[in-house]
Amino acid sequence: MTLILEARGIDKTYPGGVHANQNIDLSVTAGTVHAVVGENGAGKSTLMKILFGVEQPNAGEILLDGKPIVLHSPRAAIAAGIGMVFQHFSLVPSFTVAENVVLGVEPRSGLKLDRKRAAETVQALAERFRLPVDVESPVERLPVGQQQRVEILKALYREARVLILDEPTAVLAPQEVVELFAAIRSLTEQGRTILFIAHKLPEVLEISDRISVMRAGKMVGEVAASEATEKSLARMMVGRDVALKVERAHKGPHEHFCRIAGLTVKNDRGLDAIKDMDLVLRTGEIVGIAAVEGNGQSELFDALGGLRPIEGGSVELGGIDVTDLSVEEKRDAGLAHIPEDRIATGSAGGATIAENIVATELGDTRFVRRGLLDGKAIRDHAVELIAKFSVRAPGPDAAIGTLSGGNMQKVVVARELSAKPRMLLVSHPTRGVDLGATEFIWQRLAEARDGGASILLTSADLSELLALADRMIVLYRGRIVAAFANTADLTPEVLGSYMLGFAAQGHEELKAALA
Amino acid sequence: MTQGKLILSETGRMIFAAVIALAVALVIILLSSKTPLETFQTFLTGPLSSKRTVGTWIDDASKLALAGLAFSLVFQARQFALGVQGQVYIGGLLASTIALSPLGLSWISIPLGAIAAMLGGALLGFIPGYAKAKLNANEIVSSLMLNYIAYDFTAMMLRLYLASPKSGLTASDPFPPTAVYPAFIARTRMDLGLVLALVTVVVVWFLLYRTAWGLKLRLTGHNARFAAYSGIRSNFIMVSAMTVSGAIGGLLGALFVQGTGFAKLAAGFEAGLSFEGILIAIVARNRPLAIPFVALGYGYLRQGAALMGYRTDVPAEVIGIVQGIVILLVASSFTLPGRALLNRIMGGRSAAEAS
Amino acid sequence: MELILNTVFSAAFVAAIIRTTTPILFASLGGLLSDLVGSLNVALEGMMLISCLTAVLVSAYAPWYVGVAAGMVAGGALGAVMALFHLRFKADVILVGFAINIIAAGGTVTALNLATGDKGTSIGRVLSAAIPELDLSFLDPIPVVGPVVTQMFSGHSYLTWLGAFMVFAIWYFLYRMPGGLRFRAVGEYPPAAEAAGISPNKLRTYGLIASGMLAGLGGAQLAMFNFVGFTRDMTNGRGFIALGAVLLGRRHPVGTAIAAVLFGAFEALSIALPGILPQIPGEVIHMIPFVVTVVALMLSSKRKLTA
Repeated sequence: MTLILEARGIDKTYPGGVHANQNIDLSVTAGTVHAVVGENGAGKSTLMKILFGVEQPNAGEILLDGKPIVLHSPRAAIAAGIGMVFQHFSLVPSFTVAENVVLGVEPRSGLKLDRKRAAETVQALAERFRLPVDVESPVERLPVGQQQRVEILKALYREARVLILDEPTAVLAPQEVVELFAAIRSLTEQGRTILFIAHKLPEVLEISDRISVMRAGKMVGEVAASEATEKSLARMMVGRDVALKVERAHKGPHEHFCRIAGLTVKNDRGLDAIKDMDLVLRTGEIVGIAAVEGNGQSELFDALGGLRPIEGGSVELGGIDVTDLSVEEKRDAGLAHIPEDRIATGSAGGATIAENIVATELGDTRFVRRGLLDGKAIRDHAVELIAKFSVRAPGPDAAIGTLSGGNMQKVVVARELSAKPRMLLVSHPTRGVDLGATEFIWQRLAEARDGGASILLTSADLSELLALADRMIVLYRGRIVAAFANTADLTPEVLGSYMLGFAAQGHEELKAALA
Repeated sequence: MTQGKLILSETGRMIFAAVIALAVALVIILLSSKTPLETFQTFLTGPLSSKRTVGTWIDDASKLALAGLAFSLVFQARQFALGVQGQVYIGGLLASTIALSPLGLSWISIPLGAIAAMLGGALLGFIPGYAKAKLNANEIVSSLMLNYIAYDFTAMMLRLYLASPKSGLTASDPFPPTAVYPAFIARTRMDLGLVLALVTVVVVWFLLYRTAWGLKLRLTGHNARFAAYSGIRSNFIMVSAMTVSGAIGGLLGALFVQGTGFAKLAAGFEAGLSFEGILIAIVARNRPLAIPFVALGYGYLRQGAALMGYRTDVPAEVIGIVQGIVILLVASSFTLPGRALLNRIMGGRSAAEAS
Repeated sequence: MELILNTVFSAAFVAAIIRTTTPILFASLGGLLSDLVGSLNVALEGMMLISCLTAVLVSAYAPWYVGVAAGMVAGGALGAVMALFHLRFKADVILVGFAINIIAAGGTVTALNLATGDKGTSIGRVLSAAIPELDLSFLDPIPVVGPVVTQMFSGHSYLTWLGAFMVFAIWYFLYRMPGGLRFRAVGEYPPAAEAAGISPNKLRTYGLIASGMLAGLGGAQLAMFNFVGFTRDMTNGRGFIALGAVLLGRRHPVGTAIAAVLFGAFEALSIALPGILPQIPGEVIHMIPFVVTVVALMLSSKRKLTA
């Protein structure tokens, strides 16, 4: 067994002072699947970015085929035969699969781009590595799982021998994971090496040959997958036994609060993202939405939150029709919204924490009277929330953009919950947030639910949905295809077959479950 | 970074930019003047050479401050409306109409002229805002087009209705003294305009930092999607910011024509000053309270260049080069020489502060 | 009215449109290239103006084509300066563009002063050369259409034909060549280009330089053909109108060219009108291209509005 890629003594401190990698060693054997696991913030992504040349280490060296190599840019890494597929795909939406794959290394005939040869080459590659995809289709029309294949094909087209996959399963339904793993096996059979970053342990155990575990910027151990168990890995990852658990809602009479009837929402391209949706939420319950990315859940949350027009149907909150109300009026009716992207939607990075917190309350006479701001009340309110949510921040006048992801998310959650909402939209509440903050945010959501709020929750992490939701619905291509009470026998696999459209509940069954 | 440190480092950048720009001006003067030293001296000390030139400097600074305020309001909302020039022309035209009407024989023409000018400017500011909010029309292009339209319109109204034959149809008759801003110091341009400019500074500061409207405007500027998500009607904020900015532009027009400097409507009266408000706004980082100081500093250079244009063989237009270079340097995010070293020394401490 | 229609549908008027369109067309294509890679080039106006002066000054001492080349190089150099400040020093591209415009307005007058040694604000015909006309009168003998075709298309600047060719060349580049694929990738989703080993900033730099060179050709055409000689502020908003054409043209070379012809047509109309309807004030006529641009912008943008 020969080592293909080695990292020795890698150390990385970011300009902000975060010591993300401390003296990391990693050895990857050719033709194997090597997983690197660790919770959010453990430093896995930083290490991978260093191996792909995106970040430069402060100390340490990288060896490829036993020879030291300096990766000063991704371009150098690609030239050396290292490819990487990030969680966020880098594909040009309007370009075809073939165009996306060959971009940058285009086949030519004379001055011209040779489209025919591009398509044939990509097609051949797709067949060889069991990554079936329509090479002439624009990528914006492809589901997420196929877009991921395009990313892998891009790396293979550039003759990557080592392929780094950053949380590749995070965006996939369980059955798509199966297909991805088939492709990974086909890759290793043909001599390619896979570095697989993940935090979902069952998957890691299934696909990997060896597993390296990181915690708080350090490498804490390496084991053969055959000798590891979920429990042993989890203990290595967090340094203690993990028991993230949230109490379910109390049983008892819950009234209907939010009624969504016949809702239709269009996406940015003018196509139906949500079609004729009916859903009722009761007070004091969390309804989870399971769906593969791109099946309408983003548009649904945007529309309910007032960021996207509602094309048809109606939304009622506590008997008030809020369909055509402005965001301000919806918020007055008791709506709050923890958006999926805290930076693009949930905050104004250049404004202070206090300004970010008061932004949703500018109609409240506690803070604004006759159009004038009460600066003291605004600051005091921010100081109170910072303390209550233990946000690590210099003070209410610090720009929110200077906070870490977890702390920024806490500010967003604090602001939305401080309004005592009766209806709460929650999208990916703990994406990129460390375990401590995750636990904290889960608890706050459960409290809001116990306080009588109706919560609509979506997350790419099925385990988060299963941990929090009282009921689950599955969206596929903009329609509800299944609904369940969240009981112990509801598994990711069951959800997965509905998420991929392999199964759909019958009309009567659905109606009964949704009632 | 503390407020004090921020002001220090910003001031440092500004001075650095000004020094570079002046060095370029010096090179141009050396190349083009037969008497470069005298020319450069006129450029640098000319504004202080008499009571009259000091007055002109202060008057220029008042006008630059108003132009800067108009730009900073829209820039804070991250709108690139560049229509101040057109607003100045329409404002000047309307103020002149009042001043040359029978109302001009009473002092009432001064507030009325200002109000009419502000209304006209506000309308002109409103149009690109509304077109952007309702029709998604790019505000940069539409506001620039309106500048040309307003200029032509003003020139036409002047020629057809207001011009005096004595001037060869390029200017109106002088306004009656009752319609002209009273001067503080006789035979200088220091007049009511200075007061109006300072009052506007305070009003804009108050609007931006003490009212809910101002907070909404700034949040919209920071992140329009966040503003919409928070329940701020960002389209309304955008349009109203452009409208208020337009009113300030219109007021500047009244200041021009009713000020002691002109006291009449003349063709092309603003002579490009409006666009120099961009420089004032950028250098002041769109902060209203910094604007008077920047306007004084830049107004001084501008006045020096104008005097150089009159008194020497180098044209006043050199100031355009100085102005452009200052904008380029101030808008850039490069650090001052020596800062990297300073950062390394301070590095340990600031990291400790952050955690 | 009849007189207007007769004028507008005459071959001479078509020739006038071609003439007025050429500088705007170059500037618009330049604006398109920089807009496609992600930076709205508001400096087209200043680039054209500096190129006008450069072309005029150089052509006083050299053959016409050297003057044209000098105008093009001057524009390209300004594009490089924009790229430096925008991409390297992270200054807002709109501010950088405006700084260029301001430097152009003041700098051309100063440079003129430097070059001529007096405080005049224009140089006339005496000093500078003109771009020659391309004579197509050999087409005249063609039966029926010959005379009309000649009247429309003969006697235009060499650059007019280059401009028409550039519309095709830019289309071919963008949609048929690998470089165009990369250009469009940077414009649509820069991270994708970056991940494919393409440096978006490098392409943006090329885009700005090409943008400046095309605006420079527009300036050369303006100062060495449409008018011969330099006058301060002679571009008179054409760079901004070109910006309107870019927005109107939906990021496509053919669309942009059509928009440029539209604006050129109204400029030609504003030149022809005083002869037909002398009672219309000159200022109103002068406004026409600007009014048309702003109205066209509002009407065309409406359809794109989604939310």
